[in-house]
Amino acid sequence: MLLLLLSLTGCGSSSDGKTHLTFQIWDVYQRPGMQAMCDAYTAKHPDVVIEVQATSWSEYWTKLEASAESNTMPDIFWMHTNQLLYYADFGMLADVTNLYDDVESDYYEKHFSEISRNNASGSDGKLYGVPKDKDNGLLVYNKEMFDAAGVPYPTEDWTWGDLRDASQKIHDKTGKYGFMAYNDDQLGYWCFVYQAGGHILTADRTKAGYTNPGSVKGMEFYVNMQKEDWCPDQTYFTETAPSTAFFSEAGAMYLEGNWNLPQLMENYPEMRGKWDIAKLPRCADPIEDSESLDKDGRATLSNGLCYSTAARGKNREIALNVIKFFGTEEAQRIQGEKGAAIPAYIGCEETWRAAFDSYNEKLNLDIIFEQFDYAVQAVYNSASPKWKSQVLDELTRVYSGERDLKTGLKNMERIVNKETAKKLADD
Amino acid sequence: MVAPTIIGLVVLNLWPFVQTLYASFCEHEGFGHYKFIGLQNYVDMFGNAEFWKATWNTIYFCILTVPVGIALALLIAMLLNAHVKFKGGFRTIFFLPLVCAPAAVAMVWRWIFNGEYGILNQILGTKIQWITDPKTAVLAVAIVSVWSSVGYDAVLLLAGLQNIPKSLYEANSIDGAGKIQQFFTITLPMVSPTLFSVLIMRLMASMKIYDLIYMMADETNPALTDMQSLMYLFYRSSFVAGDRGYGSAIVIWTVGLILIVTLVQFQGQKKWVTYDI
Repeated sequence: MLLLLLSLTGCGSSSDGKTHLTFQIWDVYQRPGMQAMCDAYTAKHPDVVIEVQATSWSEYWTKLEASAESNTMPDIFWMHTNQLLYYADFGMLADVTNLYDDVESDYYEKHFSEISRNNASGSDGKLYGVPKDKDNGLLVYNKEMFDAAGVPYPTEDWTWGDLRDASQKIHDKTGKYGFMAYNDDQLGYWCFVYQAGGHILTADRTKAGYTNPGSVKGMEFYVNMQKEDWCPDQTYFTETAPSTAFFSEAGAMYLEGNWNLPQLMENYPEMRGKWDIAKLPRCADPIEDSESLDKDGRATLSNGLCYSTAARGKNREIALNVIKFFGTEEAQRIQGEKGAAIPAYIGCEETWRAAFDSYNEKLNLDIIFEQFDYAVQAVYNSASPKWKSQVLDELTRVYSGERDLKTGLKNMERIVNKETAKKLADD
Repeated sequence: MVAPTIIGLVVLNLWPFVQTLYASFCEHEGFGHYKFIGLQNYVDMFGNAEFWKATWNTIYFCILTVPVGIALALLIAMLLNAHVKFKGGFRTIFFLPLVCAPAAVAMVWRWIFNGEYGILNQILGTKIQWITDPKTAVLAVAIVSVWSSVGYDAVLLLAGLQNIPKSLYEANSIDGAGKIQQFFTITLPMVSPTLFSVLIMRLMASMKIYDLIYMMADETNPALTDMQSLMYLFYRSSFVAGDRGYGSAIVIWTVGLILIVTLVQFQGQKKWVTYDI
């Protein structure tokens, strides 16, 4: 019995004499890109075999944490800013600060933006992952519905007022929904809070800012849109994802992440050419706030992933060598060209345009790269895993009418401050 | 000879239970590191409205599913036991939901319940938001639960019905008893041991309801707090919020609740379950 159990767990070495590595990701659409990078690596290192495994986002973190506890983490895996500090501060991730010392001493500074480096840094300032990509949120709109309502397409100068007016007109003329404002953070209220001059967390990430006047202004605008007849309410979005509503031509606009665009082009061939993307509308009169980065009412949220490996993995040295390769220009270029994501490596960003080469219908991809100029770093701190779901619960209560917005915001601020203070005290 | 079973029981059931009990007195600091905090988790839990709501949701779910489910199962079992044509076919149909993966079942029912395009609203001519309206959310899950478990219970009851000697019915009808009287004087007492086991199993399963809610609800469902069961709250506390200690306390509470309900049933059975002929 025990022998059987032991033989089941001891599957480290294999019969072909090669080192078998596992590479865990959560986005099945990026698998071809990741596979191509692995193939490029194994072509140079024939003694290594890498298996790319994709799971769903929610399962990913349950599995990864369980595997971290039992020290059976995958050899290579994606790390998200929400979770990196939690894993890094507990010593679960290998320190990769000096990974490129034999190449260039300032490799990271030279080839990755400060945001990308911050996304991969632990609380101690060391790097626990090699920057992978960067993204931002944008406005997707249905050109046919704008034409039918006689409304000009969204431009760079669009304000919140224009968004409302266009939505109202489209709804009046076509009977379809206008802007579909659903309960989401990075692709939802966060953008509007920062546009209004508010903030979710202070710059040092130790305190929440939900009750800051700018935040209240952004939240009021965003949440109350569901009260308009041109915006579906949250019960609708629970059953119908905004992208589903948009691509079944039930609504004219919604916020989308650039990482989803290639699969949307692929999955909805009959919609190609009927839609385009635009910069997020801006707040015309943002509230002055020392914490906010820009005062012109523009903001979009940007995030980025990194490649990590376990601090005590069985194949640590080889895994480190693989992620070292993943951070090179060659690998980042492959990632971009395969359309997986916008590479974090400075100078390779535009390779991602290749994801759309096979389509005759073109999207206004320029706006994505331009939005990086004023993008705000996605909001997280080391207590994020603790407060994220509680804040979501609170916001759900606001949407269902069980809580008024002011009380809800106060509660959210209290939740984030409480969990953050607890985490800081523990450290 | 029984060593493998005993070892399996201790390693797979008893030891995790002891660990869970210990974890319920701890705060989970991350990655399996626990800090003893005494009764704090229980204090937090009993002071939390969400927890009491989940407890009520679980009880409400049992009230909705257990009596109706078992009555339906008994009815179906009796129909299948009677002389009907295509008996085998019907038995298969009623058993079919059990063979389907719960996740697939939940997905299909989500479509049926969909407030905008769902077939149920089309047929009824209503516009009920079945799984997002707090008033109907638990009911919707209960319907699916009954639908998927009724076949299994019916098969168990059918076995019980088939063990009733025909001679009892014959003697009874010679005495001039009608069908309804026969049901209460022969069928029900004779099938009561099976009925009792089905009741215990169904009640336990209902109190542990998790998978259907997980599949049918959604993180952003406005009715989530009105439909989440204790086990779903446990999942969210332990694995979404990472609060394993608090989650363990919820589990211990649920185990206690099941224990009490089962003890009450074993006491109550003396009044209505007939073991000898």
